[in-house]
Amino acid sequence: MGLSLPRLVGARVARREDPRLLTGQGSYVDDHRPARMLYAAFLRSPHAHARIARIDVSAALALPGVAAVLTGEDIARAAKPVRAESKTPNVQTTSFPPLALGKVRHVGEAVAMVAAESRYVAEDAVERLVVDYEPLPVVKNTEDALEPASPVLHEEAGTNLLVSREFARGDVDGALAGAALVVRERFRFHRHTPVCMENRGCLADYTTGSGTLTLRSSAQCPGLVRDILTDLLGMPEHQIRVIATDVGGGFGAKASLYPEEIATCVMARRLGRPVKWIGDRREDLLSTTHAWDEIVEAELGVNRDGTIVGLRAQVTADVGAYSIYPWTAAIEPVQTISFLPGPYRVPTYRGRTRGVATCKAPLGPYRGVGRPPAVFVIEGLMDRAARQLGLDPTEIRLRNFIRDEDFPYKSPSGIVWDRSSFTGSLLKAREALDYKAARDEQRRARTAGRWLGIGVASYVELTGIGSAIPVSPGMPVSTGTEAATIRFDPAGKVTAVFGVASHGQGLETTLAQIVADEVGVPIEDVRVLHGDTEVSPYGTGTYASRSLVLAGGAAILAGRAVREKMLLIAGHLLEADPADITLADGRLAVRGMPDRSVMIRQVARAAYSGARQLPKGLEPGLEATKFYDPYYGTASNATHLALVEVDRATFQVKTLRYVVVEDCGRMVNPLIVDGQVHGGVAQGIGAALLEEIVYDEHGQLLSGTLMDYVVPSACEIPMMEVHHLETPSPVTLGGFRGMGEGGTIGAPAAIANAIADALSPLGIEVAELPVSPDRLFRLIGRAGGLG
Amino acid sequence: MVTVRLKVNGVAHEGRCEPRKLLVDFIREDLGLTGTHVGCEHGICGACTILFNGEAARSCIMLAVQADGAELATVEGLMRDGKLHPLQEAFREHHGLQCGFCTPGMLMTALDFLRTNPSPSDREIREGISAVLCRCTGYQGIVNAVRAAAPILASGR
Amino acid sequence: MKPPKFEYHAPKSLDEALEALGRYGGDAKVLAGGQSLMPLLNFRLARPAALVDLNRIASLAYIREQDGQVRFGAMTRQRTIEFSPVVAQRLPLLKEATRWVGHLPIRTRGTIGGSIAHADPSAEYPAVLAALEGEVVARGAKGERVIRAADLFQTYLTTNLAPDEILTEVRLPAMPAGAGYALEEFARRHGDFAIVGIAAIVVRDGQRCTLARLATAGAGPVPVRLRAAEEILEREGLGEAAIEAAARRATELVDPDADIHASADYRRHLAGVLTKRALTRAIGVARG
Repeated sequence: MGLSLPRLVGARVARREDPRLLTGQGSYVDDHRPARMLYAAFLRSPHAHARIARIDVSAALALPGVAAVLTGEDIARAAKPVRAESKTPNVQTTSFPPLALGKVRHVGEAVAMVAAESRYVAEDAVERLVVDYEPLPVVKNTEDALEPASPVLHEEAGTNLLVSREFARGDVDGALAGAALVVRERFRFHRHTPVCMENRGCLADYTTGSGTLTLRSSAQCPGLVRDILTDLLGMPEHQIRVIATDVGGGFGAKASLYPEEIATCVMARRLGRPVKWIGDRREDLLSTTHAWDEIVEAELGVNRDGTIVGLRAQVTADVGAYSIYPWTAAIEPVQTISFLPGPYRVPTYRGRTRGVATCKAPLGPYRGVGRPPAVFVIEGLMDRAARQLGLDPTEIRLRNFIRDEDFPYKSPSGIVWDRSSFTGSLLKAREALDYKAARDEQRRARTAGRWLGIGVASYVELTGIGSAIPVSPGMPVSTGTEAATIRFDPAGKVTAVFGVASHGQGLETTLAQIVADEVGVPIEDVRVLHGDTEVSPYGTGTYASRSLVLAGGAAILAGRAVREKMLLIAGHLLEADPADITLADGRLAVRGMPDRSVMIRQVARAAYSGARQLPKGLEPGLEATKFYDPYYGTASNATHLALVEVDRATFQVKTLRYVVVEDCGRMVNPLIVDGQVHGGVAQGIGAALLEEIVYDEHGQLLSGTLMDYVVPSACEIPMMEVHHLETPSPVTLGGFRGMGEGGTIGAPAAIANAIADALSPLGIEVAELPVSPDRLFRLIGRAGGLG
Repeated sequence: MVTVRLKVNGVAHEGRCEPRKLLVDFIREDLGLTGTHVGCEHGICGACTILFNGEAARSCIMLAVQADGAELATVEGLMRDGKLHPLQEAFREHHGLQCGFCTPGMLMTALDFLRTNPSPSDREIREGISAVLCRCTGYQGIVNAVRAAAPILASGR
Repeated sequence: MKPPKFEYHAPKSLDEALEALGRYGGDAKVLAGGQSLMPLLNFRLARPAALVDLNRIASLAYIREQDGQVRFGAMTRQRTIEFSPVVAQRLPLLKEATRWVGHLPIRTRGTIGGSIAHADPSAEYPAVLAALEGEVVARGAKGERVIRAADLFQTYLTTNLAPDEILTEVRLPAMPAGAGYALEEFARRHGDFAIVGIAAIVVRDGQRCTLARLATAGAGPVPVRLRAAEEILEREGLGEAAIEAAARRATELVDPDADIHASADYRRHLAGVLTKRALTRAIGVARG
């Protein structure tokens, strides 16, 4: 067919998004102020567990400037409660009312909603709401929640055990019983939260005349939100428009449907006026979904040479007070056991998981979902085994990696790894760090009394998944498809429309690169639209490292269709066989006869100019919509190597060097891939050293400000050295693999392992994250290392 | 109610508001300049940073009335003749932004910082930009951008 | 997180400010830099009937040398102090401490008077006031008085200023020429409040120590002068053993509280570590 080689895919193209974001011309939810708009504020529960006896809204309503007050009862009349169903057994479905109905289950739960002429007045009104609570005993942790006498959060479930699942392969009990060495540990990955710089918020506008509802939301999944609103609000889907405009970070925090979004739609419909709710940071820390809160008791059995014979684990996840939509409370605990075996050959396995409800904010997806704790566990076990066997930690991994000849490899949970560069990434990481020199440096440092450590973490993550594998097993919606519409206008410019929703990862640029290459135009001639259900073909959104695989694949299919039509039209215009037409540098020409050519824009104009300009019987127009389902999915992998120093007196941990060798298949834009790695690693370092959501025994949130939930600043993050391998995926269009979550998947484990390596002369292991200096102080004190 | 008369990016404005109205809300709502963002409302994240009489300040912990008679600079005023400011150019070239939400605060903070330290080391750059929290970039692109822009700004180009 | 309603006064003189403050019977708050008060207002943790904004009183911002002291108008910005040649020369400890106060944008607005009147024991300026044995001037309805550092701080966020008093001036004795100094601070994140901080001043005469001052941040409800540790140095000199002994004594002199960032034991441990580091650095800088 004679195509030019890819010019843009693979290139470091500056982002199309940047000019407007750099100049303060972004279009975030709070930047919109339609006429007659009201501002909303929520009353949030001060109790972790209580019945609501009475709500008196009269004083609030009487305040000048207040338009309306809604309670749970009001919402219940206008909208169904969210129920995240799961088809898998042992996942309890529970109701998540948009405003508390009858009882509150965590501090910060939304109880009532005020709409007023300003946020200032709305907050004044919230203070005038009177609620009689009857406190109930607080279910403060998973251990208490599983006691037979524990109060039950959801009467309909009859238990706080909301999720229960197991994956198994072979006779792991036998394998461990006969193993040369078994290492075991109780790991604790404490609660975290994503902290997007833009708080959640939404703006709902119901137009009575046309019966249409427009919801502008700081959201990752406009398609999913529209799907569920149609059911909850009893409105036809085509009457609902959901727009995720510019979104200030998501990381999974904005992938779920939130009570505030539903309540805001109800309020807007009730009042016939636009209603905007912008969450503040206090609300964000109280009620945006939390993450990774797990206890994992795990055992790894190995031969004398370090090769794995079996892995056994019990995961207990604190899933908080509600099961979120659509992922359900199962998403975190089940992903942990699905991926615990990691990139290794694990002949026998049993992973059991429990998701337990407590009086805390609901657990939801956060970059990595289940895998940050899983990798912390398996990589921690590998290091323990290596230490006990006297093996170098990188060596034990090399002996256990799934090798080239093992692919495709079916993991114990049934996921198939198609072809990954586990060995290659670790070898290259060692080289990039100059591992031998680093170990020499460590020896010298030890002699001088310094605590220097090297930590390694290798992982594999499932990405770009199609319809065969739900993001959360048994969840109610299908996430396996995305679509692309590519449309030429008569002047030869291209509009490409997608159902994904970029929130920082530069999809307006990377998808434009793919489209431009497919249809042969310069990137400036492609405009990417996304995140607006009114204009896009059906799609769900951006999450689970899927956008470039699914939307990119759809773009390739649509691009091919459009290109084919261009060749047909060009053939007609040039009186040549389309098979003899080449497309290069904006021009379609007869092969071998460069003078017989037309510009792309001439072809585009011809497409809209009527039958004489077109081959007989060819439909006018130059556009195509294609859907893509990769069916299974693919994988990305990486090895992280961290060099840290633990201050002997203060126990502050400083990251001196951080090396990543990652493989996300065929890269579309290395600039953006680097950025995703940097951002994820920074969040992972924050998770390992600084960040922790803390509740007290009454269920009160103690980490309720950004002074108390400490996300890293530029001083806490090192310069990162990122290297790339490109093993194109054999199963996805374009060979793309999807990435973005790897930084948080690998970094906590790498940092934990580096600290343990630094402190290994004291015999200290790291089994709890974050490793605060205080925790280290206690660990080192117990090991007699103080003074 | 109080009257606030001020200059923003060289243009005179006047508005009336309650004394309790935060400066960042006045800038965004009364002046319609939505480039300055609200991230935390307790002075930690830096997204709301503007220049107040030439010096970086957090507008979420100032009252609008305190800006009466002042000259503010916000991100909207950085472009010159329709072209990006060299600092903005550097951010674009070095991928110093992803979601863009912290970016206006980061730009204004970096500008003020570079005026006090025109030739900073990487460590000093990190200290300077540690005033603004970013969750997307891991700061690497930002440090690269500020390092690249520093000599251009210092030379007055 | 928007502030509750309040009445607002922006007096042009100190007398006007005192008069406005007096009208509310203790239910008005002074607004200086706002870097501490405004977050409290935004969280609605502070709900004063009125704010008396001092930012229009130009006469309250100055730096003067007088009687061996450096005198700061209460509204002098931390940023001004950071770049002041007088401070660099006469009070280098204060200049060093200022670089630890939050971030530059905070220091643009934050004031020396506000920081001290706010009396957060984790802050740097109260510790420096204690280490330098400074004093403050307060003016109220009953007139003016001078309050020594040792008397000023009562407990967390509480001074002995009366509700109708305004802190107008901070006076710090100029440091002796050649004095060694250091502020050692430990925080989880750059620019945050100290988990523990130690301000140290050392005047040496060879290996002898003629003056030692040690004051804490973050190690209790008020800044603590570690007098007994200072005495060890003044008695035993500036050798390694004396420094170790002083650091050990420091851990016995503090009674820190615990919070989600650090336990009491760890804070106590840090007090010793940072005392040693501060003294070592101060001695290294000291001339004499």
